[in-house]
Amino acid sequence: MGSLSRRQLAVATCAGAAAALLPRRSKAASPTVGAPVPPDELPAREASWYKKLPDSRVECQLCPRGCQVADAERGGCGVRENRGGVYNTLVHSLACTVHLDPIEKKPFFHVLPGSQALSYATAGCNVECKFCQNWEISQFRPEQVAATYLPPEALAKIARNNGVPLLSATYSEPVVFWEYVRDTAIEGRKLGIRSTVVSNGYIQEKPLKEVLPSLVAMKVDLKAFSERFYKDVVRGELKPVLKSIEAIKASGTWLEIVVLLLPELNDSEAEVRTLSRWVKTTLGAEVPVHFTRFHPTYRLTNLPPTPLDSLERAWQIAKAEGLAFAYLGNVPGHAGESTVCPGCGGQLIRRVGFQVMENRLTKGRCPSCARAIPGVWS
Amino acid sequence: MGRTISRRELVRIAGLGVAGLARGAGAAARPPRVRGRVGLAPLPPGAGGGPLDPAAAERALSAALVACTGLATARDAVEALFLPEDIVGVKVNSIAGPGMSPRVELVSALAGLLHQRGIPSHRIIVFDRSSRELARSRFPVRRDDGDWLCYGIDNDYDREPTASGQIGSCFARLVSTTCSALVSFGVVKDHDLAGVSAGLKNLYGLIHNPNKYHDHNCDPYVADVLNHPFVKGKLRLVVLDGVTAQCHGGPAYRPDAVWPLGLIAASTDPVAADAWAWKVIDAERQRKGMPSLEAAGRPPRFLATAARYGLGVADPAGIVEVRA
Repeated sequence: MGSLSRRQLAVATCAGAAAALLPRRSKAASPTVGAPVPPDELPAREASWYKKLPDSRVECQLCPRGCQVADAERGGCGVRENRGGVYNTLVHSLACTVHLDPIEKKPFFHVLPGSQALSYATAGCNVECKFCQNWEISQFRPEQVAATYLPPEALAKIARNNGVPLLSATYSEPVVFWEYVRDTAIEGRKLGIRSTVVSNGYIQEKPLKEVLPSLVAMKVDLKAFSERFYKDVVRGELKPVLKSIEAIKASGTWLEIVVLLLPELNDSEAEVRTLSRWVKTTLGAEVPVHFTRFHPTYRLTNLPPTPLDSLERAWQIAKAEGLAFAYLGNVPGHAGESTVCPGCGGQLIRRVGFQVMENRLTKGRCPSCARAIPGVWS
Repeated sequence: MGRTISRRELVRIAGLGVAGLARGAGAAARPPRVRGRVGLAPLPPGAGGGPLDPAAAERALSAALVACTGLATARDAVEALFLPEDIVGVKVNSIAGPGMSPRVELVSALAGLLHQRGIPSHRIIVFDRSSRELARSRFPVRRDDGDWLCYGIDNDYDREPTASGQIGSCFARLVSTTCSALVSFGVVKDHDLAGVSAGLKNLYGLIHNPNKYHDHNCDPYVADVLNHPFVKGKLRLVVLDGVTAQCHGGPAYRPDAVWPLGLIAASTDPVAADAWAWKVIDAERQRKGMPSLEAAGRPPRFLATAARYGLGVADPAGIVEVRA
C-alpha cells in the first residue's frame, strides 16, 4: 500500500471537504472551507504572462491594465506579486469559494440546460465595480479571505465523482486566476468535464486566446456601452472588453453576454439600442444577451433596484433590433427568462429563476419548425 | 486582542472626554497644527548599522518635536498633541523589513513620551498591516505586557467599506474604532509608483485594498485616505525615521540606494512632512546623477491634491524647516 505525501494528504482532505459541501446551495458566493492563509504561506507560482523589466521590476501581460510592478509590490488585482523580479500568482489552487450551481445561475441559457456546474473562485479582481455583488471576495487580497488549497485535478475529480458535467470559474474574476482556470480546464477535459468561465472580459488577447480552446463556453459581463461608465463606475475600459468579446466569438467557444442594468447609469434607451446594434452587427443576431436586474450593494447602496419597466424596455429594444435571444435576469417567473424559437415563436425552454421547468428542444432544434437553435446542447 | 479596555475604564475615558468638551476643550481636543513646519533633529546611524543608542534616539525625537511645534519642551509638545485619555495608534511602515523600517528605538522613545503624558502602556498600540511584517522588522509583537502593545491589523477590518473621494475601503478597526489618536511613523524612501513613501503613503496600510489605488502615482487616492474622517480627525503627528533613507527602488529595501541622511523629521502637518521627504530624496538622486522623481515619471502628485483639500502645505516655498 502506497503512502501519501503531506501535499497529497492535504489535497485529498480538501477534496473531501469540498465534496461534502456539494449538496449545499447558496445564492451568495461565500467562503466555504479553510481559513485565511498568511501572506508568506500563499502558494506562490510563477505567473505565465509577464515580462521582466530592469531593476527587478516586471510588467504584467495578463490584463489590459499592464501593471508595472516593483519588487515586493502587487499588481492592481492584489493577487500577483513581484518577488525579487519574478512575478507570481498567489492564488493558483487557492479556492475561496466552491459551490454547486445550476448553469442557469451563471447565467448560461444555451449550455446544457438544467445541468449543474461545479463553480469555483479565488480572491481578487482586476477592476472595481461599485456595484459588485461579490465584493467580499473580489475586492480582497488572498490572505484576507478564508480559502483552501484545491488544485485543478482535485476540482476535476470532485466534479466527476459527483456526476457534474461542467466546471465554472466565476464569482470574483477568473482573469486574475487565469493559470488556475487553464489548468483546471485541462484536468477537467481529461475526465470528460467541460469548463466554462464567467468573466468581465478585461484581458489581453494572448492569454485569452491561449485558454479559449480549453473552454466550452464563456460569459462576459458587458457592464455598459460607454467608456465613461467603465472609467467612473468600473475602473476599467470598454474597448478591450469589446475586443475580447469579438475574439471569443471568432474562436468558436460558445459566448453569452450579460448586461447588468443600473437605474440612470447605463439603462437609457439610446445606450441599450447602441449596444444591441453592436452585438448584432459585430457578433451576429444569435448571441444571447441577458439584461439583469441590479440590487443595491457595495458602494452603490444609494441606488434602488432596477425598475422592471427599465428591464422590459431593454428587452423589447434588443428584440426590436433583431437579437434572436434576448433574456431578462433576476426577475423570477418573467417570460424573459425563457427561450423562444425565433422561427415560429414557440416556447422552447421554460425557466423560473434558475430552474428549467420544461425543455422542448430536440437535438438542438425547435420541435415545431425544426429551426436550429445555437448552443451547447449535448 | 490580549489587553482590552475594561468597561470601567471605558466609562472613565468617555466621562473625561465629555468633561473636556464641556470645559471648552483641553489642550489636545484641538491639537495644534503648525502648517508647513517640519522639525528636524540630527541622529546618525548606529555604529556598523547596529541598533541606536536609546538615549540618543530619545534626545533626537524630543528635539524634533520641539522644533516642529515651537514649544519649549518635548513634554509640552506631547501634552499639546495628546490627552491622557487617548488611545494612540502608531502606524509604522515595516513592509521593507529591518533594512528600511522605522527603528524600534525611536518608536520606543515616542512611547516613553506618551507615558510621560499619562497614557498607559496598553493604550499605546504600535501597528502595521500584519504581525509577521512587524516581527520581521524586529518589532516585539505582543498584545499584552511591555511598554507598548504591538501587533498587526491581521485582517481585522470594518465589515463595510466607507468612501472618501475616489476610494472605497474597509478601514482597520484599530483606526475606525479603537484609537482616538494616530501617529504616522514612516521612513524616507522612494516608491516606484507613488514617488515618495514617507508619512502619507504609510497610511495605505490602514485600508484593506491599497492595491486598487496605485494608478496615476496614487493620486488622488493617498490624499483621499488622509481626508477620510477616520484619519483626518485623528492624525496628530507624523514622525519620519530618516537616520538612513532610500532614494530608489522602493518600496522594497535596496541597500545600494540607501544613504545616511542622519535626521529625524517630525511635523503636525502631514503634507509638509512628505513634501520635505520629496525634497531630500530628489536632492540625493541629483547627487547620484539620477533623474528627479518628476523626470522618472513618479512625482508624488498626491501632495498637491492633499494641499488642495486643505490638509497641509505642499508648496516647497511654504515649508519651514526648523533644525534643532
